[in-house]
Amino acid sequence: MSEPTVHIVDDDGAIRDALSWLFRSRGLRVRAWESGEAFLGALTEETQGCVLLDVRMEGMTGIEVFERLLDRRCPMPVIFLTGHGDVPLAVTALKRGAFDFVEKPFNDNQLVDRVAEALRSGEVRRREMQAEASLTALLASLTPREREVMAHVLAGEPNKAIADALDVAVRTVEVHRARVFEKMGVGSAVELAALVKQRR
Amino acid sequence: MSAAVPIGAPDPGDRGEAPPSRHWYAPRVAIALFVASVLALLWIVQRQEVDEKRQAVIRDILWVEQNVYFSLSRDIERLHALGSVADRASDQRQVEMAAQHLMSNSAGLVRVMRLDPSGALRASTPRPAAGAFSLSAPSEQAFRLALAIGKPSYAPPALSGQDWQFEVFVPQFQGGAVESVAVGVYDLKAILSGLVPWWLAEKHRVTIRDASGNVLAAKSNVTAGGVPELTHQVPLDPPGHGLLLHVESYGVQTNLLRNVLATTIVSLAAVVLGSLWLLRRDVQRRLATEQALRAEHAFRKAMEDSLETGMRAVDLERRIVYVNRAFCRMVGFSEADLIGHVAPQPYWPPEEVEAIDKAIQAARTSGKPHVAIEMRLMRRDGERFDALLYEAPLIDAHGRQTGWMGSVLDITERKRAREHVRQQEEKLAATARLVTMGEMASTIAHELNQPLSAIASYTTGCLNVLEAGGYSPAELKDALQKATAQTQRAGRIIRRVHTFVRKSEPTRKVVGINGVVEEALGFAESDARNRHVRVRTRLWPDDAEVDADPLLLQQVVMNLLRNAMDAMADTPPEAREIVVTTARAEALVTVSVTDRGCGLSPEVERQLFAPFFSTKPEGMGMGLNICRSILELHRGRLWAERNPAGGTVFSFSLPLEADVERADGTHRG
Repeated sequence: MSEPTVHIVDDDGAIRDALSWLFRSRGLRVRAWESGEAFLGALTEETQGCVLLDVRMEGMTGIEVFERLLDRRCPMPVIFLTGHGDVPLAVTALKRGAFDFVEKPFNDNQLVDRVAEALRSGEVRRREMQAEASLTALLASLTPREREVMAHVLAGEPNKAIADALDVAVRTVEVHRARVFEKMGVGSAVELAALVKQRR
Repeated sequence: MSAAVPIGAPDPGDRGEAPPSRHWYAPRVAIALFVASVLALLWIVQRQEVDEKRQAVIRDILWVEQNVYFSLSRDIERLHALGSVADRASDQRQVEMAAQHLMSNSAGLVRVMRLDPSGALRASTPRPAAGAFSLSAPSEQAFRLALAIGKPSYAPPALSGQDWQFEVFVPQFQGGAVESVAVGVYDLKAILSGLVPWWLAEKHRVTIRDASGNVLAAKSNVTAGGVPELTHQVPLDPPGHGLLLHVESYGVQTNLLRNVLATTIVSLAAVVLGSLWLLRRDVQRRLATEQALRAEHAFRKAMEDSLETGMRAVDLERRIVYVNRAFCRMVGFSEADLIGHVAPQPYWPPEEVEAIDKAIQAARTSGKPHVAIEMRLMRRDGERFDALLYEAPLIDAHGRQTGWMGSVLDITERKRAREHVRQQEEKLAATARLVTMGEMASTIAHELNQPLSAIASYTTGCLNVLEAGGYSPAELKDALQKATAQTQRAGRIIRRVHTFVRKSEPTRKVVGINGVVEEALGFAESDARNRHVRVRTRLWPDDAEVDADPLLLQQVVMNLLRNAMDAMADTPPEAREIVVTTARAEALVTVSVTDRGCGLSPEVERQLFAPFFSTKPEGMGMGLNICRSILELHRGRLWAERNPAGGTVFSFSLPLEADVERADGTHRG
């Protein structure tokens, strides 16, 4: 898994170079992309960190790149770099889930702080997504009958009631219940409830 | 024409139809009476004439009858006498002579005989034909009657050869007893020819008829045949036996005078009727024409009243002789107020009297028809409005010019609309300029943002590195060099903008300042008229030449004029006046624009040339700023002063052309 990196997407070489220098001077990993296409082309599931997107670019605009990232459910936070008069555009993007926008010319260390925040936020989101993905995988491993039993367990019903409701022997319920606990990696109904709750 | 009668015009037929029938009633009755009386007169005359004729015929026939009667009566006496002579005389020859004499003197007597009472023939003159003499049965009867009564007796007529004859028997007494009977034989034809005179025969056909109407004898010189005009008959007694004397009158002779009279009357009546008919036709034609005229008049009147165009006519003495309703509406004066009024007219604004008078005279003397004169007129309440006058000569029916007819259009609305459109366009253009400027500013801002952002990032990075420590000088140097490169990039952008601005540098040439001012005035003229502002000029007599871009200088003058007009928006119209002067002093020419407007407040005066400062709601605040830039470009100066009489004086001065030359020379050198 690659390290969290700041991805700078700007068609202006000077800006790319200057920002790279700035972020490195604060000890951040930086990768610069000269166009949205190049960045999207190199993007993988493993890519992590945050994205600095210039709104006004040759070819794909910053907004278009942002749309693609949304389409691909990319968890990375996006910070827009806007010029004069692009503010309304950036506000729209913000409403749709962009992390922030910064107007040029920017106060550089503030920008670096925002980027650092974004990196942290990205990391948190990445972890959440990973946890969710594993839960989904665990739930997928349950048989339909086990899932039924789990629903009753989560509702706080005793085995006897579950057996009556499902019209099976109490013994059968106990077996299923043990298997659910085993598969979900928990030791008690309380733990199971806590795990599943995250997903809700 | 009738097709042209407009809807709503009074129908002329309402009044036009009734009079003729009433007018024509009396003449028709009179003519009928006249004809009737003429016919009655003729009829009466005719009747009288017929009566007269009948009287004449009756008179004539009675006369003839009387004649026959007398002749026959005399003959009886003579026969009687002849009988006595014969009885007494012995000589037969003497008797014969007497008989001859008798016959020659008596009309119609063709034979004289003597019979003895037994009826035997004793003597006869002329001599009897051979053979035995005997009387016919009717004759015998008459003979016997004569014997019996002892008085003469006539026998009925009988045909003897070709002619009808009758006898008269006259008994002769001798001592109380009939001795002999004298017999006269008459021929009817001979009676008529003997007793009917020629003049009577000329007019009438006289016949003797028996009881059953058969014609026994006739006499007539009448040539015309056919049906007789009149007939009359009287019994012929003697000889009696139902004989009738019959007369048929043929109207041979005519009354020429009367006929001429009748013909004259009839023809005169015909002439009268004819002329009356002609007169009637003429009157009807006149009525039709009059009706058409009335319809035409109503049509014209309706047309005139519906006009929105004002019409007014003046005579050659410039006295108003006619105004239409639209004109009265337009100027607010009533027709009575205007008719007879002499120029200057009450609807001429006092300040325009001279100009209007001149324009109208010029149009009239130009000889060109339909010259439009634009002028400012005044309503009764003093409100001014713009009007267009088309003047045309007024020609009467004899082809003489009696004055001028003018149509007047109120073009205030039209002008206002045009002005509105112009203002809209101007606003649009201003907005477009603003948009362009904004766009340009935005582009420049973006362009400059890039290097500035980069520079900031490099330097901040450097600072970060310096603070963190553990840096290499080479690293820092590299970053700072890059930052320097970015500053150069920013400088290039600035220079590019500068070059772009320089592209629209003025093109200078030597121009006369008066010409520039006049041209600018020409552009501002319509605007000034619309705002009711008079513009006066006081130009320096000999034109001062400057080296300048005339378009830019015009721009400056126009800008100052527009400002002056704006400043006088609240000034009463009479006082709205701008004076433009050009003056020359030493090496400078000064142009001043003086208004009588609201003047400048100290605060406004302080910010007068600041960009984006404006006292006008729609102003961009660039006008005076640009003016000053233009003048600085021309080495001139722009300033404002208070007008002692109220308002503001904006002035600018420029160096004269010769000085510019020299200045440029030193500059280049």
